[in-house]
Amino acid sequence: MRPFEYIGCESIEAAVGALDEYAGDARILAGGTDLLLELRRPGTSSPKAIVDISRISSLRGIASVDGTIRIGPLTTHTELSHSAVIRENAGFLAAAAGAIGSPQIRNRGTIGGNIMNAATCADTVPPLVALGARLTLRSGRAERTIGIDGFFQKPYTTVVQDNEVLTSISFAPCAPTARTAFVKLGRRSALSIARLSVAAVLVRDKQGIITEARIVPGAALPVWKRVNEAETMLIGERASSTLFAAAGRKVSDVMVGLTGRRWSTEYKEPVLAVLVRRSLEGCCSE
Amino acid sequence: MPSQYNIVGTKQRRVDAWGKVTGRAKFAEDYNVAHQLTGRVLRAAYPHARILRIDTSKAERLPGVAAVLTAKDVPGSKVFGIVTQNQYVLAEDVTRYLGDGVALVAAVSRKVADEALTLIKVDYEPLPIVSDPEEAMKPDAPKIHGESNIFVHHKVRKGDINSGFAQADFVIERRFKTQFVEHAYIEPEAVLAEPGEQGGVRITGSIQNLFSSRRSVAAALTIDLNKVQLIQSTLGGSFGGKDEVMTSMCCRAGLLALVTGKPVKMVNTREESMLESYKRHPYALYYRWGAKNDGTIVAMEIRIIADGGAYASMSPFVTWRSVVQATGPYHCENVKTDVYAVYTNNNYTGAMRGFGSPQVNFAIESMMDELAEHVGKDPLEIRVQNCFTRGSVTATGQKLDHTVSLKQVLNEAAAVADFQKKWKAYRSASPAPKKRGIGLACSYRGVSLGAEGTDAAGVIVSVQTDGSVILSSGVTDMGQGAQAQMSHIAAEVLGITMDRIQFLNTNTSRVPDSGPTVASRGTIMGGSAAKKGAEIVRASLLDAGAEMTGVPAGDLSIKNDYLIKSTTGERLASFAELAAECFKQGRPLIGLGWHKSPKTSWDKEGGQGTAYFTFVYGTNIAEVEVDTETGKTDVIDFVSAHEVGQTISRGGVEGQIFGGVAMGVGYGLLEDFEIEDGTPKQLNFDEYLIPTSMDVPPIRTVLVENADPAGPFGAKSIGEPANEIAAPAIVSAIFNATGKRLTEIPASLERVLLGHALNRGGPRGSLQKELPEDTVCKIRPVRNETL
Repeated sequence: MRPFEYIGCESIEAAVGALDEYAGDARILAGGTDLLLELRRPGTSSPKAIVDISRISSLRGIASVDGTIRIGPLTTHTELSHSAVIRENAGFLAAAAGAIGSPQIRNRGTIGGNIMNAATCADTVPPLVALGARLTLRSGRAERTIGIDGFFQKPYTTVVQDNEVLTSISFAPCAPTARTAFVKLGRRSALSIARLSVAAVLVRDKQGIITEARIVPGAALPVWKRVNEAETMLIGERASSTLFAAAGRKVSDVMVGLTGRRWSTEYKEPVLAVLVRRSLEGCCSE
Repeated sequence: MPSQYNIVGTKQRRVDAWGKVTGRAKFAEDYNVAHQLTGRVLRAAYPHARILRIDTSKAERLPGVAAVLTAKDVPGSKVFGIVTQNQYVLAEDVTRYLGDGVALVAAVSRKVADEALTLIKVDYEPLPIVSDPEEAMKPDAPKIHGESNIFVHHKVRKGDINSGFAQADFVIERRFKTQFVEHAYIEPEAVLAEPGEQGGVRITGSIQNLFSSRRSVAAALTIDLNKVQLIQSTLGGSFGGKDEVMTSMCCRAGLLALVTGKPVKMVNTREESMLESYKRHPYALYYRWGAKNDGTIVAMEIRIIADGGAYASMSPFVTWRSVVQATGPYHCENVKTDVYAVYTNNNYTGAMRGFGSPQVNFAIESMMDELAEHVGKDPLEIRVQNCFTRGSVTATGQKLDHTVSLKQVLNEAAAVADFQKKWKAYRSASPAPKKRGIGLACSYRGVSLGAEGTDAAGVIVSVQTDGSVILSSGVTDMGQGAQAQMSHIAAEVLGITMDRIQFLNTNTSRVPDSGPTVASRGTIMGGSAAKKGAEIVRASLLDAGAEMTGVPAGDLSIKNDYLIKSTTGERLASFAELAAECFKQGRPLIGLGWHKSPKTSWDKEGGQGTAYFTFVYGTNIAEVEVDTETGKTDVIDFVSAHEVGQTISRGGVEGQIFGGVAMGVGYGLLEDFEIEDGTPKQLNFDEYLIPTSMDVPPIRTVLVENADPAGPFGAKSIGEPANEIAAPAIVSAIFNATGKRLTEIPASLERVLLGHALNRGGPRGSLQKELPEDTVCKIRPVRNETL
């Protein structure tokens, strides 16, 4: 790790000011669970400045206001996984946050950091994409709010400008009849990076007919997205393992179509289909 | 039955517990002195390259740099090694793996030292790399040392395998493969080297085998042994791993300290530790067994190739244990075993908990299960049918004339786990996404060094005039609890409570050379020495008691901290009073216990001998739940039964078993130190995955006690036995669940689901070529085959 300026910020204004000052050569410190590892990795160039936003209290917390749920980006994975608001309105986001790393990492790591780091294995992102979350970014001059589906460009790359800070994550809660599920597969039972994950939402009417479906795989596609090709297969149908398995195969097909056949495809192709099926089944179990 | 012992076999607080739980324990990194410099190592840029020129001038001119040294600055022996001296303190002409040191820097700070490293210019001529041991055996392979890469060939020959196979009803032939494994001690390598007041050097550090490291430092620096003082700091784990890598660090830090005249501190980062340190050997194992339809084994032909990496290290001894134990504890009249160790440009491989047994046990126990399948028996039946009993003759011609507890541990473990019932039920369970399975593995293991070499150890027992006691030993405690074991034994003999005992860390200048602390010999060797040392002091104390009380020494005893009259139990004096009296009478309060092991023997050419003076026996039973759609395997229950002779410290034995099983879960399911073309693929725990507490199942222990005359109070060993059969039990359980047998470990997601591993880097060039499945995995009838 090479020397850098440390700038502790008490306000969003101070943070964006510091980002402007170091124009492109600053990194934001929130929980630090990704950044610190990156900084001490041999051969990586250090930024000139580290802008510590972790003490900006307005960036914390979870609120439900006027039918919108707003999450401060400094909200930790532990807070997220224990939040009654999140558990009620987006159960799979709480589950995804609870599946991250270890208790120590969940106590430090933040949802904002998970999004901004943009690793393909980020656990909270598939549920947020399924929720159609909107992300608010602040710079010295302006504020903008954009949809999460245009946010990521490729692994570890987003549309965020060097002088912008993520200030809010918001989404409309799932319909009361919606059921959600998050399924994660790792090599071990804790402290595990997702080999594959799936976030799913299903809404069924009183007759049991599926009226809405959202499926977002994690660690599978170059950029997260809902797999409409599979979702449309479900609409108007009744839940069944056969149907869900077919949808799973469709998601795998889409993955292979987007990534081509890689070293891991032999494994990921059948297993992603299984995880999609299980996530959909998870939406149907009480 | 009430125990005949007061302390032996009980649970006591460990003598090192207070320091560790309060944070007062000093690990190597905690030692700092005034004016110390930081020592850093420039490592190889290529796994295999000729060093043409090293230019250190720029680095030397950097302000704050005290010394920049290369191989030419090593005044004495430039190489070290316990068996074959071919490991360089600093690479001289050639680098042989990426962990090789090329130059050293000592500077006023880590920052300056690291900058100096970047200023050293090394010109290399890259040489062809060989990373696969079977490739390395070929005549045209690049050579690492001398004319051939094959540097070990151990044999065992018994009977005649041709006539054995001729009697066989069928033959099972398999190829197994195991992986590199990192010790993963939580404390990376560290030392502080200080120039000695009368010349020489004093080195405090995280060192496992202080006496062998000391010999190498003395030879490299041309100093007498009495001026090289190695002091063991409290160790944060070793598992066999802090031998040569620490010798190397000691030589380097010692050299820098002598050249600069200042103390030099060296600490490896985790990445440096993983890059440089040695690993457990990957083995390729070719097993061919001939058997009768009743399950009798009539011939075993075994060929094993061990990847020795860049240096000989402990490979000759590790592979020797493999050759002795390669048949497992099973009767067979006709055996031909060949074990080779081969140089490559990979990390060198050496001692790691198990020492050549985990690899062969995986193969043997898998073969045993296949044999059972073929003759329609269950895994327990086939083992009970074939296993050694008292009087059995091993593959090396050794008659087992001690209590052979194998059937007992098998049956007791099976009863606790309800093995046979579950095995049958799981086997016939209908297909499901999640399937359970139960698997069993057993082993016999030679205790201590065996015919590897001289086996002796010493312990000093020193009673103070207030009745407190100081123990010190050449046997090192690395966290395994050796100090607690020896303290239990001394306390038992002296008739005192454990809290009177303080145990000093090993200091080579203050205790006798007791050989290395390896091979699960801490209790049987160190414990025997502690017993003898304590007996010497006890005799002196009883003589003092006799003079004080007028009661003959033969009628006196010490029990529960009091001198008593044996016949009546009457308390005559407290232990403190007795100690003071003994001092007053001018009698010694100190005893040096020295223990030498019984004789062993080995005929290298004939491949026969009394390999070990006694053996231990163990059985592991694992229960797993396999996700048949993803390959994810969870170990959900575990029974570990071991014959330990006599339990000394109950907490210590159970702790060893829990830790051993946890490491075995890692070996069986997760751990794989991948090296591609001489380059390790993971250098920290983000990618090198060891089990977390969430991956380790509840573990039930079964301790079988059949006291062995060779050990103190009948005790034998547990450290390595606890680790060596967990992985095969898990793989066996996966078969019970899925019907698919893995011949390679770890049982990763991909192997369990697809039957083979996937490599991120694609096919690894000419190296690591996998044989096509059908040429290596087959059961074939003996008919129509030429044997």
